[in-house]
Amino acid sequence: MLKSVKMVSKDGLIGFPPEIKEDFLATGGLDFKYSPSVSAEEIWEFLTVEAPRRFPQAFIDDPNVFIIRPSPYVEFLWTLKYRYCMLTAKDRTEKARKNGVPVVFVQGGQTQEPYYAANAIATRPYVNIILRGGMTDGLSYKQRTIQDKKLMEEGRKLVSPEACNGMIVAFYQIMSGISPTDLVAPYLCLRCSDIAYTTESHRSTERNTPTYLVDFPVDYRPGQDWKVEYVAEDLRRLVKSIVAVGGKDPSDEDMRQQIKQLNYARRLGRSCAETWMTARYVPSYGFDYRFLVALGNDLLGDPVSAIQILEQAKQEIEERAEKGIKGIEVAEDPVRLFVSGSCYTPNTYRIEASGGAVVAYDDQYNRLTIQAEETGDPYLSLAKAMLSYPYELPTEERARWIAGSARKARCDGVIFASNWGCQYQSAVSRMVGEIVKKEAHIPYLELEVDSLTQFEQLEQSENRTEAFIEMLSDLRK
Amino acid sequence: MKATTLDKIARAVQERPEQLLKAREKGGKVVGYFCSYMPEEIIYALGLIPVRLGRGGSDDLVELGGRYIGKGTCVFLRESVGLFAEGKEPFSQTCDLVAVATSCVQMFRLAEVINHFFKVPTLVLGVPRNFYLPQGRVYFQKEVENLTRQLEEFAGTKLDAAALKESVALYRSIRQILLKIYDFQAADSAPISWREVFDVVHAGFYLDRADYYRLLQELLSELTVMSAALQHAAGDERPRILLSGTNIPPGDTKLINLIEEAGGRIVGDDLCSGLRFISGLTVQDCSLAGVADAYLDKIPCATLPYLPSLETDRRLENLSRLIDHYRPDGMIYHTLRFCDAFTFKAAETKRFINDKISFMEIHTEYADSDIEAIRTRIDAFIEVLEGRRRAKISKAATA
Repeated sequence: MLKSVKMVSKDGLIGFPPEIKEDFLATGGLDFKYSPSVSAEEIWEFLTVEAPRRFPQAFIDDPNVFIIRPSPYVEFLWTLKYRYCMLTAKDRTEKARKNGVPVVFVQGGQTQEPYYAANAIATRPYVNIILRGGMTDGLSYKQRTIQDKKLMEEGRKLVSPEACNGMIVAFYQIMSGISPTDLVAPYLCLRCSDIAYTTESHRSTERNTPTYLVDFPVDYRPGQDWKVEYVAEDLRRLVKSIVAVGGKDPSDEDMRQQIKQLNYARRLGRSCAETWMTARYVPSYGFDYRFLVALGNDLLGDPVSAIQILEQAKQEIEERAEKGIKGIEVAEDPVRLFVSGSCYTPNTYRIEASGGAVVAYDDQYNRLTIQAEETGDPYLSLAKAMLSYPYELPTEERARWIAGSARKARCDGVIFASNWGCQYQSAVSRMVGEIVKKEAHIPYLELEVDSLTQFEQLEQSENRTEAFIEMLSDLRK
Repeated sequence: MKATTLDKIARAVQERPEQLLKAREKGGKVVGYFCSYMPEEIIYALGLIPVRLGRGGSDDLVELGGRYIGKGTCVFLRESVGLFAEGKEPFSQTCDLVAVATSCVQMFRLAEVINHFFKVPTLVLGVPRNFYLPQGRVYFQKEVENLTRQLEEFAGTKLDAAALKESVALYRSIRQILLKIYDFQAADSAPISWREVFDVVHAGFYLDRADYYRLLQELLSELTVMSAALQHAAGDERPRILLSGTNIPPGDTKLINLIEEAGGRIVGDDLCSGLRFISGLTVQDCSLAGVADAYLDKIPCATLPYLPSLETDRRLENLSRLIDHYRPDGMIYHTLRFCDAFTFKAAETKRFINDKISFMEIHTEYADSDIEAIRTRIDAFIEVLEGRRRAKISKAATA
């Protein structure tokens, strides 16, 4: 089992320490659905030589920066593979696309079976914005930040100044060709109101990228079969749209096999998440945990490599939890936080430095708790599964689920964050809070952030979060 | 000179809350609703009393509502929540049930919030984003069926086919008359202003529908006589304005006042609280599916994304028709802050109609703080339109 090994720092950049190389090589390489396999040696070479040269922005040695850079200590070897997949997402996607694999822009937090069954690559906003559009060779972190802001403004000029950061940057990257995309076809889950209109906006661009929406009926209650059938039919047409841009036409059996594969990914993700959230000591950095949980649903553009990383992660996390090893920069008894709301990644390094730890998220974790049926009509199975996601339920039920999960994870408090421009989430922030406080008897903080596409959380959000942690810490005493 | 029926209608609206209370005392049930996708004919056919809810223009109610639904929501919805929070507005207070159609997905949040915080019984009618696809049609038919079953339970009676047929006929008649009344705006001079017509449409949100129809018939007769007398009168020379964009509900008069004060004449609109509420909706078949289809096939709201192309977008097609019919000199496109549905489409709407008429977007909310800024812009716009008009007349005269 890997002990915590500090990243090396030189000339303002951090790098993977040579001491972990042998252990890392012993974990083996990665296979991919659309790309050639890579050995552990190749991954190591990339991460220690090629990537720092090509992407200095992703190795910035600054504790205020998160998302894009590795954690200060290496505590899990799977994190290197995850980072490899992050930093090669653009290259692998572009190469696959040149080989005839269509690239489809999707919603964050949705299922991805139809895309992979149709032999396409699903890229969610995070992948498009951070891992494809912005990963220009040689860009420093500051240059990257300026570039992203420019894209945001260009997109806003074309559409609206009130568009959510993430959606508008993704829109602009696609319509301008920065992130070459063959089809814009997200699900309209209840997490986002902007995505329908930014998708629609493509019709008035010169590029006019083909579009399709999988609608999401509001207020689903069990027994409302017509809603399930509606979504199922939308999913069938989604597959036709993917075929129309070069995808393969999957049989129902192909789709069932895809469900099976992604159910497995979800089970792995769930296992990792629940081991982490129930462990005696918090095993490591919240940042790595966040993206691991996301991987169970999002796959980073490739289900094969995602599953291999999850399998390795499950082993490593279970070992750490069993042995009672805590993350080196996490407090022994941190203030435990549950983070709710979509498209929000708190700067967990700052939270950990303040004596807190994020041990659960509803955004990604909730989808891992549902398994789609692997027999029968696969489209109905997927539709039923999606409509059952706790995040997508009517808000009172969603809030009760949050309260239950927060209790399960032994949380001291819940933070609900919504991004500026996100009406759909901010509208229920207070409602969720009332129910969580009543059912879980723990404090609740509402935050409005403006952090999408940024690699630094705004100081206002940091201050409020740190004050919340302080307050919870006092309450515990 | 003003049609006297207009005063009757205004009085009827003032007296309506009292009437509703009396009706409830006698066992009547009031169903308040939001959104023009709600099939009112069905509510009426069940013997329930439909009232279209929602007001605008009050910054205080916006602030109050924002405490519950958040400040990132448009002011119309915030004020709508504010109505329930304050508990004074008569129409929202006399509802026994509130039905919400979710053409705008944020309407679903409205339903959840008023149900949770103010214990208002609510029903939700899903409206498909894929409204132009076959599966969207089937879904909406089932949603309307489900809504009907729930309303039947609430009403304590089953929907009668004959009652539905009668209801459809009444609403058809109401819409036809309103369209005729609107049509006076197409002429150079009209016996009724657009603003008065707008108020008449709003009166129909509240009044007993049969009484409303009788009043409309009276109004149309009066206006027809007045119109004949105007035939030889000098035409109205003010620049003609077409109003489009986000809903302008009763109570929100800021933009309308500013346009009129600047010397503009509104001659038409495609607002869901105005002309679009009554046009393009024809129930061919008096069944639940037929009613559902009619609502889905009406002129679409911008809240429903239409992906295929600008050229086949019926909302834009309708704008072209309105331009041809009402002959505006310019369009003022009204958007509310955080109304993504219309705000995101401002640029493309401008490009679409700019070869026909001038376009200006006014992006605002219910606060008074931007009145003068908007006034300056509208003044300038009207001045430009006046100048172009004069130039056109001058060119025609020398030709």
